[in-house]
Amino acid sequence: MSRRFYWAFASFILATFIAAPLFSQSADLVAAAKKESKVVVYGSLESDVADAAFKGVKSKIGIDVDYWRASATKVMDRGLSEFRAGKGVADVFLTNDNPMQIMFKEGMFAKYDSPSAKEFTKEAIDPNLGPRYRNVIIGVVYNKDIIKPADAPKSLEDLVKPQYRGKLVMPDPTQHTTTTQWVASLDKLMGKEKAAKFIRDLAAQKPILVESLLPAAERVATGETPVAITYVKYVYIYGQRGAPLDYVRLGKFMGDGHYLALNAKAPHSNAGKAFIDYFLGAENMRALAKAGEFVNRKGIYPPLPDADKIEFVEMYDLDSKAFAEKKKEYQQIFLR
Amino acid sequence: MSADERALTVPPSTTTAWSRTRLGAFLSQPVSWVFIFVVGIIGFLSLYPTFFLFYGSLTDAPLGVPGHFTLGNYIRAYSDPEAYPLLLSSFIFGLGASGLSLIFALTLAWITIRTNAPFRRIFELTAIVPNILPPILVSISWVMLLNPSNGLINGFFVKVLGMEKGPFNIYSMTGLIFVESLILTPLAFLIVAAALKSMDPSLEESAKTLGSNEFGVMRRVTFPLIRPAILAAGTLNFVRAVESFDTPAIIALPARIEVFTTKIWREALGSFPTNHNLAATYGVGILVIALLFVYLYRHFTSQVENFSTVTGKGFRPHQIDLGRWRFAASGLALLLLVLLVLLPLLVLLLVAVLPYYHVPTWRTWHNLTLDHFRYVWATPRVHRAFANSLFLALAGASICMVLASLASYITVRTKIVGRSLIDGLVFIPWAFPGTAMALGLLWAYVDFPIPIYGTIWIILIAYVTRFLPYGLRAVSSTIIQVHKELEEASVVCGAGFLSTFRRVLIPMMRPGMMAGWIILVTIFLREFSATLFLYSPGAEPLGPLLYFLYLDGMRGRVAAIGLVISVVSIILIAFAQRYSRWESK
Repeated sequence: MSRRFYWAFASFILATFIAAPLFSQSADLVAAAKKESKVVVYGSLESDVADAAFKGVKSKIGIDVDYWRASATKVMDRGLSEFRAGKGVADVFLTNDNPMQIMFKEGMFAKYDSPSAKEFTKEAIDPNLGPRYRNVIIGVVYNKDIIKPADAPKSLEDLVKPQYRGKLVMPDPTQHTTTTQWVASLDKLMGKEKAAKFIRDLAAQKPILVESLLPAAERVATGETPVAITYVKYVYIYGQRGAPLDYVRLGKFMGDGHYLALNAKAPHSNAGKAFIDYFLGAENMRALAKAGEFVNRKGIYPPLPDADKIEFVEMYDLDSKAFAEKKKEYQQIFLR
Repeated sequence: MSADERALTVPPSTTTAWSRTRLGAFLSQPVSWVFIFVVGIIGFLSLYPTFFLFYGSLTDAPLGVPGHFTLGNYIRAYSDPEAYPLLLSSFIFGLGASGLSLIFALTLAWITIRTNAPFRRIFELTAIVPNILPPILVSISWVMLLNPSNGLINGFFVKVLGMEKGPFNIYSMTGLIFVESLILTPLAFLIVAAALKSMDPSLEESAKTLGSNEFGVMRRVTFPLIRPAILAAGTLNFVRAVESFDTPAIIALPARIEVFTTKIWREALGSFPTNHNLAATYGVGILVIALLFVYLYRHFTSQVENFSTVTGKGFRPHQIDLGRWRFAASGLALLLLVLLVLLPLLVLLLVAVLPYYHVPTWRTWHNLTLDHFRYVWATPRVHRAFANSLFLALAGASICMVLASLASYITVRTKIVGRSLIDGLVFIPWAFPGTAMALGLLWAYVDFPIPIYGTIWIILIAYVTRFLPYGLRAVSSTIIQVHKELEEASVVCGAGFLSTFRRVLIPMMRPGMMAGWIILVTIFLREFSATLFLYSPGAEPLGPLLYFLYLDGMRGRVAAIGLVISVVSIILIAFAQRYSRWESK
């Protein structure tokens, strides 16, 4: 046999050994997952990010992913309804902190300690839900073609200056749940009194209110509105397509955590476990970061300038009563 | 008891025997079995989710859990003083949008059907194209054209005409009404155009003979004759506007205009966690209001049918010679079609070839891309969605038309007691907002013994239930114009009911059936308000796919898929029309 063959064979063996710990899971589990042939995932992961992750599941584990995409609230609603009716359709749930905690309290999740979870730092492990695999970070994003970086706001407080009146777009805090949470958590950054004044001043700027964080970013990308309160990751995502976006370096940024868990009534529980192992593994975390996500692995950052300098502050968890109260309160402030 | 009363009273045993005889006679007719079958199916389809919607509004437990009876949801929903001003703004929005859509539809229908304006046939064919476009894409297109900051039309006024500020602002009640009216125009056009086509020309000719000029004929004869159709289209569009959420979500929210559907979203469907009971309660409220208008709609359309019955002969209404004004009429029709079809399609095309949407500059032309179309071509998720939607559209439209044909035959042609029941049953779901119907279906089928929940079949059931009235309308208007003698001849020659139905009536009803089928296919290919709640993993149709790509900021892909849907719809329409013509030969 030729020397080239031996090199190829040796490289293959080496690659197998290197690749194995990237998503630690037993061969038995993978074999059992393959027998089940597919995993059903209910989640609010964006389409492109999900595609990147699911491609890996197909190629590494050899199972198909049936993905039901919805907002975090809808993922929870459907999961709860099916659980209460005794139906097991989904194998894995994958969404924001608050809905995941509610589903956990209802007893919807099976206990599964993934070997991949060990790679996360202790601070990123929730006692109920396991690793917080990514943070979705909200900040101030602006269009560089309209506002020069030197003239851009430098802090959240700058947003209430007269020059930004009518030039700011944000999701409606009386409708969009994550934004309700963000506004309600501002005291974590500013203290109670300053936050209360800031919220009133922000409303007085008459920001343009839209449905959610994405349309806010879109309006800045298209140049319709110069500044937005939205996810920081959009700077990278839209930037890749050529949009002239940048974000204000606030130092501390608030956001929400994302988790995934196995359904207690999972019809494909082995496939679900294999999916979780791969999803939390280093290879997938790198793929998610490459797609612009802030994953909770040391040294892995999205390709966004100064991403490593972002200090993440988790928003308050609000229960349904607190949400209703806050939405009512913001209706008085923002819609009057 | 007097002697007379005694004479009139039949002993109980005789009554029972007589009833049995009548029942036996009833059941011996094959048409009676068809009636029982149709009533059974339609009754189940429409009453089962309606019952569960009411059940959901009267219980205190969420979906999937047995709860206790409560009126609390109604007290909470309708004791809120804020609800009533919002009902008023919804009313203004609905009235404005349906009124404007009628003006557009009437103008277009009159020019294309009744005048000698050049290119009128092309205009007539183009007028139904907007029915193919998902409404959400139409709204987005108009935001790109008329937003006050960098809308393309406003930009034209600023850059080319040197104005300081663009004259239009889409984020206003006027903008909201304008966009919704464009979405609603095709349906109004179909209804009004049909009435104009089937109108008896002899009345107009008599008026002319008596010395009336064209304008006088139009004012005194034509419009009074088609008034029921105008009112029917207006009522239907009013209901559709009041129920709509897509356009208000995109335009009303930035304009800080609240309508009733945005309130339902905030307090029930979009609340955390979703309050299904409150959503069902609001759904019942809208259902009741909509039922009232649907009743009015039925009242007006029955008048149209009365007119049609008189005129079931082969004729063409006479054409009005506009003289040199005919070019102006064509210009006006063209302008309307630019608003309805050309501008939204051009914006979609532009968005589909830009890497991300922005106002085009010279630099833009170097960055044009076909990536979004490549995504459509190469992505299995898109292919699956197309396959699912095509199955739903073809199967759903076909089932609807079979049911609609049987139902309209029974209601129009037979004297079976209780035939009007079918009409009533069919029109209940029409009044359902899409989301309310989805809620009713979820409640109804989550515990259903046959495992329909979580499959593509629940979507098929939703489509057939909700859109059956569209099919019924199309067939009923045709069946009225089919002479009864043909059926009688068939029966005399020894054919039974099913044979006559298959060999005489279906070929005669084919144009109406195909027209209804085409409308349903185009609606099913893009439906998303009910589908969003009902679709299951692995069975994602195009509506939810478009919605989530939009939610994920991929407007280019949304536009590319939207354009492909339009092309597929046009191919299906062309096939259907060809088939319809071939058969009629």
